[in-house]
Amino acid sequence: MIPDDAVERLMDSALEIGKACDSEGISQWEIFASQGYGHSLDIEAGKISMASGGGEGGFGIRIVEDGRYGYAHLVDPSSASHAIGQAISIARKSPSIEGFELPGNHSATSVGGMKDKAILDMGPEDLLAQGDQVLTRVSELDSRAVAVGGGVGVGAGAGAIVTSSGIEDGGIYTSHGIGIHVSIDEDDQLTSSYEGESSRTLLKDLTACVDKAVHWSQITRQKVSGKGTQDCPVLMTSDGFSPLFSVVVPSAIKGERLARGESFWSGKMNELVIADHLSLVDDGLMEGGMSSGSRDDEGVPSRTQTIVDSGRLTGELWSTRDAAKLVSEGKVDSAFTTGSASRGGHTAPPICGCSDLILSSSAKTHSRDRLVEEMEEGYVVHSVMGAHTANPTSGDFSVTTSTILRVEGGEIIGALSQAGFSGNMAKALSGRVVLGDSSIRKGSYSTGSMHVPDVLMMDGLRINPA
Amino acid sequence: MVVATRQSDSMFSSGRLLDEDKINKALNNASELGAEYAEIRLVSQTTNTASLKDGKLERAIPGQEIGVTMRILADGAWGVHSTSDISSIPEQVGPTLRLAKAVAARRSSSQLPVGLAEVPIIEDVTHWRSVKDVRDTDLDTRIEMMLAIDNEAKDHENIVSTSTGWSDEHIHTELMTTEGMNRVWSFQRSLINGMVTAREGSDVVSYRMRHGGEGGLEVIESCDLGEMGRNARVSALRLLKAERAPSGKMPLVADRDLTGVYIHEALGHPCEADLVAAGDSCLEGRLGQTIGSEICTVVDDPTMRGGYGCYPVDDEGVNTRPKNLIVNGVLTEYLNHRETAHRYDLDPNGGARAQDGLHHPLVRMSNTVIQGGTHKDLDELIEDIEFGVYACGSRGGQVDTGRGSFQFAAQEAWIIENGSLSRPVKDVSVSGMTLEILKNVDGLTRDAYLGSPGFCGKGQTVPVGDGGPLMRIREALVG
Repeated sequence: MIPDDAVERLMDSALEIGKACDSEGISQWEIFASQGYGHSLDIEAGKISMASGGGEGGFGIRIVEDGRYGYAHLVDPSSASHAIGQAISIARKSPSIEGFELPGNHSATSVGGMKDKAILDMGPEDLLAQGDQVLTRVSELDSRAVAVGGGVGVGAGAGAIVTSSGIEDGGIYTSHGIGIHVSIDEDDQLTSSYEGESSRTLLKDLTACVDKAVHWSQITRQKVSGKGTQDCPVLMTSDGFSPLFSVVVPSAIKGERLARGESFWSGKMNELVIADHLSLVDDGLMEGGMSSGSRDDEGVPSRTQTIVDSGRLTGELWSTRDAAKLVSEGKVDSAFTTGSASRGGHTAPPICGCSDLILSSSAKTHSRDRLVEEMEEGYVVHSVMGAHTANPTSGDFSVTTSTILRVEGGEIIGALSQAGFSGNMAKALSGRVVLGDSSIRKGSYSTGSMHVPDVLMMDGLRINPA
Repeated sequence: MVVATRQSDSMFSSGRLLDEDKINKALNNASELGAEYAEIRLVSQTTNTASLKDGKLERAIPGQEIGVTMRILADGAWGVHSTSDISSIPEQVGPTLRLAKAVAARRSSSQLPVGLAEVPIIEDVTHWRSVKDVRDTDLDTRIEMMLAIDNEAKDHENIVSTSTGWSDEHIHTELMTTEGMNRVWSFQRSLINGMVTAREGSDVVSYRMRHGGEGGLEVIESCDLGEMGRNARVSALRLLKAERAPSGKMPLVADRDLTGVYIHEALGHPCEADLVAAGDSCLEGRLGQTIGSEICTVVDDPTMRGGYGCYPVDDEGVNTRPKNLIVNGVLTEYLNHRETAHRYDLDPNGGARAQDGLHHPLVRMSNTVIQGGTHKDLDELIEDIEFGVYACGSRGGQVDTGRGSFQFAAQEAWIIENGSLSRPVKDVSVSGMTLEILKNVDGLTRDAYLGSPGFCGKGQTVPVGDGGPLMRIREALVG
């Protein structure tokens, strides 16, 4: 899927661009290069509707002079001199940040599990066979169920970073993912569920995702009435919780937002901010982590950092430039990179963001069934609509769910058609919270990957049945 | 490796990036190998983004990106290849055709092969020239414009931070097909935005603003940026004092931004015929049926110059035109690309859009507007509401097209009591079912126009415009 010498070719081109920066007299430069390849197939209306493949890539140039930085990106290395000229002219107009320099070259820990030969060896026919397997599984599980959308894909990418300070690093990463949207439309009632999963290594069992989608399409068909608008306990499955969590929490733990008063946790360093048995760890070194690696996206060695320790805010995320900027502005006394620079690709300079973010509890965790018993009366929410409309500044959210089960007497008694669901994520997590005993990894609306279990929140949430 | 060709600035949008001889040979090769249809579409985007944080330049990024997508239809199925390496296209014809045939081989006898509706075969060049070309705008001008917002937005002790952003782009597209289509088109978009964060004690809120449209610098110059900054500041400070919104079913009045998001989510998406064909739209089989109040007429119009969702030609080379989705409450038209137009035996209406040159076209909205009604103004809309909510500004929305359920969130809102606006509330979201709530629209003011520009995600992200008049919904689920 990817040429054997992909990294070397990227590195060679990046070094050439670096030389061009040297010849312009630029003292600090960073060349970030990426090249991705992949195959995917689309599923629609119970069939494979399209197969596609391809690749893309390019180079990003960041230069720093006297604390001023400029950036430009390009796809063709032969046009580097034009891009370098643009970056220089932007740097001249940028504010000088005292103490801002590109990161030095420090040794980094190697992180395993970033690539899987089984994925590299996959061809389009292998992927089509997986698509067949997915579609067969849907019809095997429930003859009424249809895979109305989704797809399967594999990807391989090469990345490289080369800097004037001597960082020369690169590697290959792979990914395998499935998304499946199943619906059951019978007796004038349509229920559906979307499930997805991805991994750096070949997914062992694609059908697990299908099973979950069919299951939730089935169990939401038995409708019951809600009890009017109610402030009550809500058990969010990890699939439902993760999107909301990813909009609100990663943003709140950025050093810059904390320092500027833009986070609901601003001014609360070393204070209790969530329940005292909960901890939050940002792990940039997770083996096989979708957002991990030996270095961050500006070449700083990655690390594992505790952000919230037993409910207490103890850490924050910084990139090199943000740290220097907030110190120079006097917003903080000192700050240093935490290896938390990330970027969406070669077209953007690094920004601060989390890597693999893990929510855990030191208290006893429970199975989903036990959590349902624990809540006595309330709701189970498996997905929400409008998670991206949550307010990352305040933590407030007001979303809608059509995958919601009513719990009475510690048992699930049926599903609501639709309900409004609102509250404040920060406040809900600081109330009575119990976590489930298994965590799953999910993508994110922001940077990074979320590793969260089922979360039972007893306080501060409102369900408003339609 | 990556791309092998770069267009010089001087020939941009006047010259060609695709080598027509080579592309014609590749297309002929596809036909000889058994393709029913093949197309090669190149998109070159010259972009400039910039942002300020608390009035200081945070980043400025110029860039030029090129992508090419080849689609091949063989045995009634699609194979697609996308790349930033133009030179690799001819060698990918065979593998892409084999992909299409492999997909076709999996089709069961009950499943329809893909076909394409006939369209005029056109060879032309269309440039929507801006009054002030984005490529002539320098960074100083961009900074000055953003500062005009920032200076007004930050002027209060409770405003803890401001951020402003800029994005403009010149989009150049070339499309060649086995049918002989050979079209080139270009246009530009410009956008300015900002966010204000206010804090009092432990309460922290934010308010966002955005202005933009199709065109160059003149789009931004047409906006009173100082007023935009002032309004954002006032709104953020008001949100600091606002109570939590009530929950329940109640009358709702929406401003233009929210009316636009509502019509985009609740109606526009279910009207996309690729979702209808996938069995994922609540509007399947409802063409010609009354699905909304008779005061509702909704148009999706990519030709509405200045709208953020404009485009001169769709990404299958089909000429654009306004589409009447609902006329007086009756569903009259789906949004189509050539494949769905063929499937439903409808006229293609230019609804195919791709995010960029690395993506294949899907059925998408452009500028979606609900037409004006008969009410004079807000006062007249709310005068007989005992208790309800007036919601303004969009924080975005989402729809489940199959179920027909949707959600959208407001930036700020007021309680309506006894026909007047009373106290401000925050975190208002509205949800409902498309087929119920469209019938509950019972009031529209006379003047309809586009609200703030937006972005629509459907696996791919495209710029859109939406709007309308002020709209009253008899009963909506709030909170």
